[in-house]
Amino acid sequence: MQQPAMILRESLAVLRAQARNGTPVWDLGVRLFHWLLVASVTIAALTGFFAQRSALQLHLIAGGIIAALIGFRIVWGLLGGGYARFASFAFSPPSVLAYGRQMIAGRTARYLGHNPLGGLMVFALLAVLTLIVLTGTVTLGGLVKQGPLAFATSFAGGAQAIGLHKLLSLLLVAMIAAHLWGVWFESRREGENLVVAMVTGAKSHIEADPPRWKAHRRLATLICIALGAAGTFGITALANLPGLGVPPATQDPVYAEQCGACHLAYPPSLMPAAAWSGILDHLGHHFGEDASLDAPTIAHLRAYLAANSAEHWDTLPAVRLRSSIDPADPMRITATRFWRNMHRRIPAATFASPKVSSRASCEACHRDAATGRFAPQKIEIPEASE
Amino acid sequence: MNLRPILLLAFAASLTGGATLAATNYASERAAIVARYAAEAKQANPNFHGFSADAGKAFFLAHPGTGRPETPSCTTCHTTSPRNYGRTRAGKQLLPVAVSRTPARFTNLTKVERWFKRNCNTVYGRTCTAQEKGNYITFMESQ
Repeated sequence: MQQPAMILRESLAVLRAQARNGTPVWDLGVRLFHWLLVASVTIAALTGFFAQRSALQLHLIAGGIIAALIGFRIVWGLLGGGYARFASFAFSPPSVLAYGRQMIAGRTARYLGHNPLGGLMVFALLAVLTLIVLTGTVTLGGLVKQGPLAFATSFAGGAQAIGLHKLLSLLLVAMIAAHLWGVWFESRREGENLVVAMVTGAKSHIEADPPRWKAHRRLATLICIALGAAGTFGITALANLPGLGVPPATQDPVYAEQCGACHLAYPPSLMPAAAWSGILDHLGHHFGEDASLDAPTIAHLRAYLAANSAEHWDTLPAVRLRSSIDPADPMRITATRFWRNMHRRIPAATFASPKVSSRASCEACHRDAATGRFAPQKIEIPEASE
Repeated sequence: MNLRPILLLAFAASLTGGATLAATNYASERAAIVARYAAEAKQANPNFHGFSADAGKAFFLAHPGTGRPETPSCTTCHTTSPRNYGRTRAGKQLLPVAVSRTPARFTNLTKVERWFKRNCNTVYGRTCTAQEKGNYITFMESQ
């Protein structure tokens, strides 16, 4: 255990010396931004590309941090000093092209801040990240009916946005690869480890004019606090609006009592009107049970279910279930293609376990099943062994 | 004047009184339903001698083999002891049928009739007689 500690102490000493002796380039804001962005993009990418739906909450937190970091970087790019300022690395297109040609020819000048291509990459990364956050928010609003755009985004809109979100995310991965290659290439060419420079903030072996821009720290802090507060307030207020096409959380009391006696009073939004009608027509043979009711109660339920069936709502379960009814078993939610696909990884033992006991008890794992929303964050699958 | 003891006493009295009243109501409502089944049973059988908890128990535990394969017995959902919580085939927990555990059992005629109609059909494949219903409730009252 002593050796790693020693290596760490020595490395820190080297970094400190480098920071002391070099020319300060990247201020604390830029460095913190960079490494927090690396961390949050890594989490967002891992949860987005590989994780199960239940990891959505982590993905959303990472996305929120990325959005805040972008906001900070824009403020700091306009008000920060030295090489943090956008103006210090915003080069004209001809000069970027010229730099590219020189680089290919192998005779480029050294830059203390970003070189023209590197600067362009910073802007491109910020733009693509912004688009990813925006398309992600539209996706969240349309498909999950959560977040600031849920009140205005249709399922179809969310379905389109998720395609763009994925495409942009792949583009981002390619850009990160290019960025890393650029860092490696320039590090080798300049004979200076640029990754270390982004940690210490200092670069060496270079003479350059001192940066022209003064940092407006106090103003930038004030603007960040104001934007953060306004953003948090606005997003929370918008997220609290009722989602577009989301059914009310409360059910008809007769439906809740009669149908909730033996099973979860399945939200009417889960099945199309034809399925509900068929169920009411065959209550004497109700999935192996006799669930017969008197005619006035059936009439009441028929009206309620017809007015609240899946066709009337825009939630993911409503849209997906109504379009994947099994014609051979049209009244059974668990027979739909969508249901079977979503639960394909759940072992039979889990369904048979005492805490679940039936494929029909949605609420055993979906803590918000009664609302018809089935949010990914509300899934808690009991251990099969219990 | 200190009103606290008086208020507390009044609160306790109203709680006890409310609980007693509710229990009395449940008991009298259940008695009315049993009396109704007794009258029906007498009409069907002049030799009717009242209800039997033992016969109700046998009825509850039986596997008649005349109902639906999914529900061969009352015990399929209610377990072999009426004092236990039961579970429907769809996974929902059922309150114990035993009156001592669920005092509101057999106090609403519409409900009682609805469930005898359904469950006699699925377990016995027929309607139950007034004698069987009365035996069943008497058994559950004894539990």
